[in-house]
Amino acid sequence: MSEKAKTKMPEAGTARETSRRRFLTGSLAAAGAGVATGMAAARPAAAAGESVITEVQDWNRYLGEGVVSQPYGTPSQYEANVVRRDVEWLTASRQSSVSFTPLHELDGIITPNGLCFERHHGGIAEIEPWQHRLMLHGLVDTPLVFTMQDLMRFPRENHVYFLECAANSGMEWRGAQLNGCQYTHGMVHCVAYTGVKLKHLLAEAGLKTAAKWLLVEGADAAAMTRSIPLEKALDDCLVAFKMNGEALRPEQGYPLRLVVPGWEGNMWIKWLRRIEVGDQPWQQREETSKYTDLLANGKARRFTWTMDVKSVITSPSPQAPIRHGRGKAVISGLAWSGNGRIKRVDVSIDGGRNWTTARLDGPSLTKALHRFYLDVDWDGAELLLQSRAIDEAGFVQPTKNELRAARGENSIYHNNGIQTWYVKADGTVENVEVS
Amino acid sequence: MLKFPSAALLLGVTLLGAGPVLAAGDAANGEIVFKKCAACHQVGPRAKNRVGPELNDLFGRTAGGLKGFRYSKAMVEAGAGGLAWDEASLDTYLESPRTTIKGNRMAFPGLRDAGDRADVIAYLARHSNQAAAAAEAKPTDAGVDPAATAATPTAAPAESSTPTHGVFQLGRSATAEEISAWDIDVRPDGVGLPEGRGTVADGEVLFTERCASCHGDFGEGIGRWPVLAGGQGTLTADRPEKTIGSYWPYLSTVYDYIRRAMPFGDSRSLGDDDVYAITAYLLYMNDVVTDDTFELSRDNFATVKLPNEANFIADDRTRESHYATKSEPCMSDCKPAAKITMRARVLDVTPEAGKDNEATTKVD
Repeated sequence: MSEKAKTKMPEAGTARETSRRRFLTGSLAAAGAGVATGMAAARPAAAAGESVITEVQDWNRYLGEGVVSQPYGTPSQYEANVVRRDVEWLTASRQSSVSFTPLHELDGIITPNGLCFERHHGGIAEIEPWQHRLMLHGLVDTPLVFTMQDLMRFPRENHVYFLECAANSGMEWRGAQLNGCQYTHGMVHCVAYTGVKLKHLLAEAGLKTAAKWLLVEGADAAAMTRSIPLEKALDDCLVAFKMNGEALRPEQGYPLRLVVPGWEGNMWIKWLRRIEVGDQPWQQREETSKYTDLLANGKARRFTWTMDVKSVITSPSPQAPIRHGRGKAVISGLAWSGNGRIKRVDVSIDGGRNWTTARLDGPSLTKALHRFYLDVDWDGAELLLQSRAIDEAGFVQPTKNELRAARGENSIYHNNGIQTWYVKADGTVENVEVS
Repeated sequence: MLKFPSAALLLGVTLLGAGPVLAAGDAANGEIVFKKCAACHQVGPRAKNRVGPELNDLFGRTAGGLKGFRYSKAMVEAGAGGLAWDEASLDTYLESPRTTIKGNRMAFPGLRDAGDRADVIAYLARHSNQAAAAAEAKPTDAGVDPAATAATPTAAPAESSTPTHGVFQLGRSATAEEISAWDIDVRPDGVGLPEGRGTVADGEVLFTERCASCHGDFGEGIGRWPVLAGGQGTLTADRPEKTIGSYWPYLSTVYDYIRRAMPFGDSRSLGDDDVYAITAYLLYMNDVVTDDTFELSRDNFATVKLPNEANFIADDRTRESHYATKSEPCMSDCKPAAKITMRARVLDVTPEAGKDNEATTKVD
């Protein structure tokens, strides 16, 4: 290969504006000559050709399964690796535990129902829908009980929202810990909810003038409760019964859950059964002992409701190494913010020293995941990949060091720091921290 | 077939057997007695159905027969079986509503005093046109066919009733008993605490039996189960121990949480006194209370303060320096060359042996 054709990867710290920019925009046509990849499979030998083409394959010859061989369809057997996973030693019991969305395997912004991460505090409640009730009482004119059928008769709305656990990336406060974006960032999903605006239900019972807070409660063994300020409840909260068109999955709260757009996942009560209207917060366990953010000075923030602006590159990542060798490559990732839409995502290949704006692709919906891509030409050199999101309110995703400087290392929750992936020459990827 | 034939028959017998007995009660006093009913029932010109049906023109009305109110199946069946309201049937019913028509939704224990019953019946008579008629009731809905009523599915009462609340008239009123079954939360100001009491000593016994297998005899936490005691003064340390005594702001949260969710795997199995006792023992284990004869109850609950109450602040993340300026971030030559300062501790996230790869942060 001639010197002219080779894409020189700027060494970390050297200023090579021109070649770097060309690298990032993939406009180096001259580099086309050096297109050889590590895999020889696509290059037919002599006159023969690949047997998968020259020989009749089974699927081309024999009939396959008929319709309704699976009344509820499942993915190809060859996608069996695309599953939720947990980290068993994180928790004492699987019933009070978490599983992670396989972000590295997914594209677009919608999380398939069976892959949405789970977080339970008392296992999955199995509720017969005709036995489920939603009670609404407290500072109301008429305390009410609704059946599922009643709820289906209110006016409905559809919204796509992300749900992120406040403890997402929590293990990473102390530094790079888990090797995979499924584990470092997988407590997030995004689906289309169908439900009834909570404000309709509150109007049905009639709010008294003293009403300022709601207590929302689930029917599971943990009887999870949170306090919600009335303003948020009357704004965009939904009582939802469908996700991506079908009924909520049991592990997502079947038959009913609360949707609190942009706010921490714990508040999105699953198996929703009771709403009490009051004039003060109840200070339940999940808003005092848990889901409060301890700072270095010993004080703790409470009611940290909004999920901050955040992004992560999902591929390449430790579970999604670069297998095709040098040349054209797609850097793909997700960005989101509890403040609304994502305005922009920048990507760095040198650990945050230089940035290029990525391409946001697909729908841009408020408080939903956004997909971004950066199409590059990789010359096989080591990379320190980072992404940085800016939301429509103007908040810029901070670095982990900035967050630690402000809060210490023991906040547990709300780690939205910039993630760094170390891509090695062989295409494998590792979770690292950088200076 | 009718589910409660005996009840309907009982009232029916009373009905048919009684001669005309005009209310000998004092309606003026009855108005005062009626205050016990007013939480759910109304009479008078502007009366509406609320938790219970309005009671104008009650005399002569078939039980469960007021259009626009969603009765229990039991009440409708009693009416279909021939029960209509008059002085005698009301007297029997009001003494013990829940046992005379089993399964009805009137959440009221009854008026034990015969004089009170007579008075309130006289008061109700004032609001009823048919009150002066003979006690022999005529079924007002001659067309009601008991067989048809019995054969209809559970939802049948709903078809004829139209709620009048709210904007959409959907859902039905919650009963007081339903609300008290689910409304078990406790606020920091004590609202919601049930009657009850428990001592440190009783709490120790209960804790050993019901809690220690996960939380340890001293609340030290076994394996990854939560630590409940200790950790005072560690919040600014490298690895803080956040327990009831070192971190939780309010005692009410302890009571509320144990009551709704503990023991793990057997929620709601502890009585209210048990929860007071366990809470007292937790206070003792955390040295918030040092007297081992201490008894915790609803009366003294508000006097117990947890040490960390004052150390919670409002969410001020937007004031952090990286957020506060909101300026355009740097795009080139932003910092010296980046160097790797740490590599992932856990390269193989799901190892066979967990020990070596345990992360430093617990999740529960």
